Amino acid sequence: MGQLLTRQTQHVGIIIAVAAALAAAAATGACRSEPPPASTAPVATRSGAPAVPRGGTLVASIRTEPRSFNRLVGRDSSTELVSSLTQAKLVRINKMTQEVEPWLAESWTRSPDGLRYTLKLRSGVVFSDGQPLTSADVVFAFDAVYDEKAGSSLADSLQAGGKRLNVVAADPQTVVITFPAPFAAGLRLLDNLPILPRHKLDAALKAGTFANAWGLSTPPSEIVGLGPFVLTEYLPGQHLILNRNPRYFRKAADGTDLPYLDRITIEIIPDQNAETLRLEAGQIDMMTSEIAPEAYAPIKRAADQGRVRLFDLGVALNPDSLWFNLKPGAFGADPRAAWLQRDELRRAVSLAVDRKAFADTVFLGAGVPVYGPITEANRTWYWAGIPQPSADLDGAKQVLATIGLSDRDGDGMLEDGNGRPARFTLLTQKGRPSVERGSNVIRDELKKIGLVVDVVTLDATALIERIGTVNYEAIYFNALMSDTDPALNPDFWFSRGSAHFWNMAQKAPATDWERRIDELMTRQIASLDEAERKRLFDEVQKIFAEYLPAIYFVAPRVYVAASSRVTNLTPAVSRPQLLWSPDTVAVTP
Amino acid sequence: MTRVVGLAVLVVAIVAALGAPVLAPHAGDQSFRGLLNAPPTRPHVRGDDGTWHRPFIYRWTLVNQLEQRYEEDRSARVPLAWLSGGRLVQSADEGRAPLLLVGADSYGRDVFSRMLFGARISLGLALVAALGATLIGSAVGGMAGYVGGATDDLLMRASDFLIVLPAMYVVLALRAVLPLVLAPSTVFLLLSVIFAVVGAPFIARGVRAIVRSERTLDYASAASALGAGHLRLLARHLLPAARGFVAVELTLLVPAFIVAEATLSYVGLGFPDPMASWGTMLHDASNVRAFADFPWLLAPAAAIFLVVLGLNLVLQGPVQAGPNFRTPTVRLKPDTTREHL
Repeated sequence: MGQLLTRQTQHVGIIIAVAAALAAAAATGACRSEPPPASTAPVATRSGAPAVPRGGTLVASIRTEPRSFNRLVGRDSSTELVSSLTQAKLVRINKMTQEVEPWLAESWTRSPDGLRYTLKLRSGVVFSDGQPLTSADVVFAFDAVYDEKAGSSLADSLQAGGKRLNVVAADPQTVVITFPAPFAAGLRLLDNLPILPRHKLDAALKAGTFANAWGLSTPPSEIVGLGPFVLTEYLPGQHLILNRNPRYFRKAADGTDLPYLDRITIEIIPDQNAETLRLEAGQIDMMTSEIAPEAYAPIKRAADQGRVRLFDLGVALNPDSLWFNLKPGAFGADPRAAWLQRDELRRAVSLAVDRKAFADTVFLGAGVPVYGPITEANRTWYWAGIPQPSADLDGAKQVLATIGLSDRDGDGMLEDGNGRPARFTLLTQKGRPSVERGSNVIRDELKKIGLVVDVVTLDATALIERIGTVNYEAIYFNALMSDTDPALNPDFWFSRGSAHFWNMAQKAPATDWERRIDELMTRQIASLDEAERKRLFDEVQKIFAEYLPAIYFVAPRVYVAASSRVTNLTPAVSRPQLLWSPDTVAVTP
Repeated sequence: MTRVVGLAVLVVAIVAALGAPVLAPHAGDQSFRGLLNAPPTRPHVRGDDGTWHRPFIYRWTLVNQLEQRYEEDRSARVPLAWLSGGRLVQSADEGRAPLLLVGADSYGRDVFSRMLFGARISLGLALVAALGATLIGSAVGGMAGYVGGATDDLLMRASDFLIVLPAMYVVLALRAVLPLVLAPSTVFLLLSVIFAVVGAPFIARGVRAIVRSERTLDYASAASALGAGHLRLLARHLLPAARGFVAVELTLLVPAFIVAEATLSYVGLGFPDPMASWGTMLHDASNVRAFADFPWLLAPAAAIFLVVLGLNLVLQGPVQAGPNFRTPTVRLKPDTTREHL
């Protein structure tokens, strides 16, 4: 689901990617059964490779406190991280291959019509307190996420075509999931849902207090899960300590138990400078977020000295974007509405901004120009044919002249037909250097074509409140799509969507091009023909690039770093880049 | 002598601020995109071959963009151009080799030029606000100390209230009800008023104590006996006794206001980028890497230090040696004040 969130504080972060194998099967419409997953095959344990070291403590850092230990309630990145360490899901998206992997469900079959999946749970799996996992726990997890009182932030992401899935326990080891309509992404959306212990939380759900269950004041011993680690200590503002779950269900390739680590300590370090310094000094082993461009140099020096390992993970999935308020009537009697909501303005802005200069200034050159929301990091859905016009100041001015904006008094700046200056306010998030600097570059670039931009920085809460109340002129922000498959981001693409930021929750499409995108996306989500889905989504991107409801400039390269004592890492471009597979991470003594 | 030095420092600062459009090699918001965080370009008069030349600089070339490492291109000298383009001095090749006397900031803007333009805002705001705080504080403190009784209690409790008020939260609340975009002149006025009101209680309390104590002395009684009115007695005889105290407070308030402007800029109430002020420039430098790798970004801190030093030297001269200075310290004992009233 598209989410209006920041990378630092509210990242939903459940990135589900496209599975080519599943897609191929979907295209044929055939029933199939996944082979039993057996066990992991960490690189270091393959024949001839040195054994992966066992034991030890990994020290990671996060910037913000988790808001809850209940992933169904807390949607911030810290809550998600703790959940990924302590809980498990039915299937997992491998962030390296972007393929679906069996996890708690060891195999499944699909009905010929593609609507019903029968999942077989792995046998012998127990929660960290020793209670066995059964299909009742799976049904309970769906009940909890769909519960109105719980108000789970994950509920939208577990729907197909705007409707809920029907989940039934056929027997203690079998779950039948029925989709309300053909849904191309299939079981991929199950990566969103951690399976929670019914025996621990059922009472809260029945009492209507599930939203408050597993809050931060809950004793760690009450937090039970199927993940590789168990929460053992939480000191607000300081750290979380997670010990190895001795009952974890996965085995290494050599048949030995996972996880390799004995313990993970997560330090809470709000300041990025402090975080970087501690990594350089060896006081933490890794950060759970990307390295900011300005922190690259000291980390590189530490890497050159062999103290840390630096990973270049390629282009980011979710670039920042600028959008104007396109809600009809949003500006009331303000005469600027005559040009602020015009397509030509957005085209001129896109033409005026020199994306190379943008990348150099904001990301110190470590970024690539982008012209739409899907970057080349999304290998399956990126449309290479997207128009990529070069910066053209004269062309931008000509476009603006067609909507009545020209320099009428010879001062070099544009005015409308009544002589009022062409000026608007751009809101952005305070404290995020990439969007603050990006906004300033946009301001400087647009000044060259005579547009005056007043950049105003607001804290994330105030900014989101303004978006929610449609009280803004333009915004430069990170509209994060939590999944690489467009079928799982309907609220961004559909005009009715709550993450259709420029004009949210429309009762009927306000423009013809939005109506056209709605139609294409409806077909795209329902189609089981992967090639057809790609063709349809290319068409969507083409329309998006033509009308530019959100303007994208540069996608940064993603760099992460870990202490040189951390081994068996499999870094991926989406968060948490280094800890998405925590059970196979190891440290040398 | 120290006073002369202090005066010289202040004169230089004021001349730099007033003459910024001529003295600064570049406009305050001019960016050199290929020179983000570039080090200072040092003027030379002697080439690598030992020959002497008119002042020149070497061009910085970017070695590693992501690591922001630069090297001097010593293959060609770039002479300085004097009195060209309405500027005192510039590089003869501004496009490729701009003159960056104190280096560039993270947007590639000349730190030296921004310091000169920033001095206009920072010094102007701090001095106006300090003057306002002095006027308000002296008036309130003088009246409280002179009148005493309920007036004294009322004014001092009001001062105490202002002092204990969580200023940042008040400012945030104030910001919430103001328009998102404010004109620079409005910002200047707003900050001046806020600083003056916030700074006044500190002066008021000291002035009140001094006036209250001085009022009981013989010279005040004599002036009163000779027919001096309340206003004359207060303004001509009692308040001058607080001059030393006010001078010291001024030296504390001016730098405090400069830094406070930076803080308020951060919460959105200060001057927006790209307008330069010493405070906003320091805010840009508020990270560890600036200390380690780009120390020239801290140049505004040095400027603040020099201005404060100059103020101290100028103002403390008369404090220590002036004929009219009365040291207030022995008269500030709390247990001796109430009875004398």
